[in-house]
Amino acid sequence: MAWFQSIPAADVHTQGAVGVEVDGLRIALFSLDGDIHATGNICTHAFALLTDGHVENGCVECPLHQGLFDIRTGKAQGTPVTKDIATYAVDIRDGQVWVDTDSRLAETDAAPEHTESMPEDPRALLIVGAGQAGVETAVAARQNGFAGTITLIGDEPVLPYERPPLSKGMLMGESGLDEATIYSAAELDALKIELLNGIQVSGVDRKARRVSLSDGRQLSYDMLVLATGARARELSVTGSDETSLFYLRNLRHAKSLGEALRKATQVAVIGGGFIGLEIASAARKLGKHVTVIEAAARLMGRLLPEEAAGYMQELAVANGVALELGHTTAAVSREGVMLDDGRMVAADCIVVGIGAVPNDALAREAGLAVAERGGILVNPIGRTSDPAIYAVGDVAVHRDEISGREHRLESWQNANLTARSTGMAIAGAADHSIDLPWFWSDLFGGTVQMLGQMRDGLTLVRRDGGQAPVFFGLNEEGSIELVVDFGQPKAIQAARSLMLEGTELSPALLTDRDVDLSQLNEDDMKTIPLEKRFVWPATGLERIPDWVYTDQEIFDREVERIFHGRTWNYVGLEAEIPNAGDFIRSYVGPTAVVVSRDEDGGINVFENRCAHRAAEFCRELHGNTDEFVCPYHQWSYDLKGNLAGIPFRRGAAGKGGMGPDFQPEKHGLRCLSVATRNGAIFASFASDMESVEDYLGEDMLKDFDAVFSGRKIKVLGHYRHTLSGNWKLYPENLKDPYHATLLHTFLVTFGLLVAGNKSAMIVDPKGRHSTMASAKSDAGKVSDEDKSQMRAYRDGMTLEDPRMMDFVPEFDSPWSVTMQVVWPNLIVQREMNTLGVRQINPTGPNEFTMVWTMFGYEDDDEEMTRHRLRQGNLMGPAGYLGMEDNEAIKFVQDGMLNTRKGEHLIALDPEVPAGTSDTLISEAAIRAMYKYWRQEMGL
Amino acid sequence: MMTMDAQENSVGSPLDTREARREARLAIEEFNAEYCAVLDDGALEDWPDFFTEDGFYNITARENFDRGMPVGLVYCESRAMMRDRALAVSKTSMFGPRFLRHFITNTRVTGIEADGTICAQSNYILLEVLMDVPDGRLHQAGRLFDRFEPQSDGGLLLKSRIAVYDTLLVANALVLPV
Repeated sequence: MAWFQSIPAADVHTQGAVGVEVDGLRIALFSLDGDIHATGNICTHAFALLTDGHVENGCVECPLHQGLFDIRTGKAQGTPVTKDIATYAVDIRDGQVWVDTDSRLAETDAAPEHTESMPEDPRALLIVGAGQAGVETAVAARQNGFAGTITLIGDEPVLPYERPPLSKGMLMGESGLDEATIYSAAELDALKIELLNGIQVSGVDRKARRVSLSDGRQLSYDMLVLATGARARELSVTGSDETSLFYLRNLRHAKSLGEALRKATQVAVIGGGFIGLEIASAARKLGKHVTVIEAAARLMGRLLPEEAAGYMQELAVANGVALELGHTTAAVSREGVMLDDGRMVAADCIVVGIGAVPNDALAREAGLAVAERGGILVNPIGRTSDPAIYAVGDVAVHRDEISGREHRLESWQNANLTARSTGMAIAGAADHSIDLPWFWSDLFGGTVQMLGQMRDGLTLVRRDGGQAPVFFGLNEEGSIELVVDFGQPKAIQAARSLMLEGTELSPALLTDRDVDLSQLNEDDMKTIPLEKRFVWPATGLERIPDWVYTDQEIFDREVERIFHGRTWNYVGLEAEIPNAGDFIRSYVGPTAVVVSRDEDGGINVFENRCAHRAAEFCRELHGNTDEFVCPYHQWSYDLKGNLAGIPFRRGAAGKGGMGPDFQPEKHGLRCLSVATRNGAIFASFASDMESVEDYLGEDMLKDFDAVFSGRKIKVLGHYRHTLSGNWKLYPENLKDPYHATLLHTFLVTFGLLVAGNKSAMIVDPKGRHSTMASAKSDAGKVSDEDKSQMRAYRDGMTLEDPRMMDFVPEFDSPWSVTMQVVWPNLIVQREMNTLGVRQINPTGPNEFTMVWTMFGYEDDDEEMTRHRLRQGNLMGPAGYLGMEDNEAIKFVQDGMLNTRKGEHLIALDPEVPAGTSDTLISEAAIRAMYKYWRQEMGL
Repeated sequence: MMTMDAQENSVGSPLDTREARREARLAIEEFNAEYCAVLDDGALEDWPDFFTEDGFYNITARENFDRGMPVGLVYCESRAMMRDRALAVSKTSMFGPRFLRHFITNTRVTGIEADGTICAQSNYILLEVLMDVPDGRLHQAGRLFDRFEPQSDGGLLLKSRIAVYDTLLVANALVLPV
């Protein structure tokens, strides 16, 4: 028996779980049903504190690998934990918790109990809206392995049905609900999908994860899908309230419109889009007189390119449809439709088809992000701004993660595709299929098909032949973006693969009837552009394909667009070239450069490549010189990179030499733009770069200036090492706060990173630069606190010389550690008092070299210099932290080599799609980097 | 910070005889054979015992050493710091499995100071064999600048060892001392 006092019992009851140190042991105190229980605080599986975990049903879940322990008995509840945790006797004396540090023996029948009664997957999936998108989401989730309950809530009292027949067979009375029904009750039953139909959802309580139903019930969810669709836009003009107007959006509409059409003699259709024309087509088939009224100057407004719309118009007219184009509706009445010019279109049946409005009220009321023009904003897998809620089908507005463009599609295909990718995401699977938007309509006895998306700026090419023409919309590069087909189904098939591969075509080829379009793709001569061969996964930024890290062509484009593009690249410190004539060798990306100080004190950066025969002329790492002379043919350059002299320029004995057109001033070394900030030197291949200050931005400059404050820098030396990984893995490593305590056991073991440390992962607005920062909780009491952390082990895990962990405050910053990425090639390291810059020099997709320059300040005394050197043990290729990062990055690259079509999962912290997050268990900063990278790379 | 010019200190030292140097070289070679064996066997926690309590240990690139820049890949100012490194590397560090083999050759005793301190220089090479590329590679080649303190039991302890590597570019990581 060894009783020790710990903390007041009230503290345990208010906090639920508290970690304490008693008699050199880390002990967890839990408050359960009014009692206090004590267990060991370190998981028996891997190093983690149980008090950081989640407590439920008398068990604590380890935060690291989700191992469960029974708090009362210490029993491990199955994999990954197999060894029970120690438990300790507890006594409350005078409101204080006393703990007996001689642990109770674990009960001997240590066989882990299997809790068979637990359902395999306790999660509930709720889907609001039982149309095409809703039911297909349910089915996709189930078929891809989601094992929880699925409940589908629909407001129509029927089984889920598809909508295209509403304006086609069902309208004509040729087919019924049975043919349109997507899944029978028996099929839904077999898939264990519960359908609640004829019921409305009146509200969503996101905090409680619960929805309220119109029948007063409440249903809980773990994941919610909004498939609420869209409703017909209503006409609001004089008389629209009193006149019976027909719409076409659901079963009820189709039934009543069908009856009305059959009875009518004269039909007026307001709206010249697809729905309007389908109704006109149906009415003509029934032999009725039809007028289509359209406010725009032509049919199909922005749905079709002008020429294709023109053909459609001819088709309508040829089929006896009267058109009133460029006219709005002023009033409606029993007599018909009055146009804006006062004329009357007589009609005994008025149909309105002027578009649809997304049903986003539920989402708005719940506070989800919605688009300005209506609809719920979602990411590529259909996730809304709440990670537990998705939206699919007509109501979902997809916002492109890179361009920010928003689009909402109303089509049968879109309902199915969004349902599939969201259903798969819910089941934990990734949808990698690539589909082009596709739409069809039955009009005037034929079928119109549309593949791709209409936008301004497409060049339209018409191809005749077959039953009717087909129109191709070509983009600026000459590849097909849109096909509108009126009767050549083979052409649309051929176009599909041409579109997916981005084949560049001449318009003449497409119009030539003798050219077989399906053969174009077989042509060996075609060149498929990079953008089409390297397509980012449709699932968005949460997955990074391996080719980003392993492909030579991608690397070549990085050199062109990033390192040689609009970036400031770190090349050295002013302290390395203090005097005129001083120079160092350096790199911008893979390109060798020389950094020199000229006679005027200016800093010059030029390519280390002779203008004559490309020889890398400067071979020393550093030095001092009056001029640079290429050893091959003795061409000489001054300290600014100007060509100074050429041997035998005028030949010898009147023969040879350069021609009269030779101008030496045009053959200097390729000079880069140069900028400095308080001693750091940057270079850029771009000639019109913004200032370094603007490039970094206000937030990043603050952390940068903490190190580069203007204090004179003293270089302490360099480390150079190769790293067998893609160069981007390094900035990623410093945008990945998740790894810090998991990979770097040292930090946790020796108390450098302790729970309660303030920390942040800050990303600049563009997503390229970042600072990973943390602060000692109390800078003044650092060493005491460290010592107490270090004493916490009984097995000798203490530092004999803890001076390495001392932090001497010297910076104008709230942080004691900042690791800053300055895109693309610089890391500024401030790990307490050890300072350094790391320059990333990629040599290819699979390897880079890194040059570390460790430094202090000129005003450091000897002890401070020693302290920096001592703390340097953390960093570099032999550092406690540096070694592990290098190894981990190599392991990542090894894992990618020699596998096919692999991808990384970067999904932590979905609440922040990309950017600064306030939790360290986040990969939002990595996603932000790739958002920027994809913009720069055009991928 | 550390001057290696031991010759000066030993000029005129009565202990610095040709015979003593030869004897010292033999002792150093024996010492280094044991030193390498300990590291090659991965018995890292025994490594600090080759040093005096105030022993200094540094691994640095030749580019730094030649210019008097003090930085070290490993920078230990005392045996306590070496013990910390041995503990940290063996208990907390993550790195891929590997075989390391140390070779110390061409030992020259450059002086024996009046207090008996032996100054010496040697060449070293470090071979590394990784499990994924098991053909092995030359990891480092360089020089050791040593100062030894003779012990009462006749053995030696290092007061200072500075490993200066010519192979400026470290391949990925240097996990153990040289």
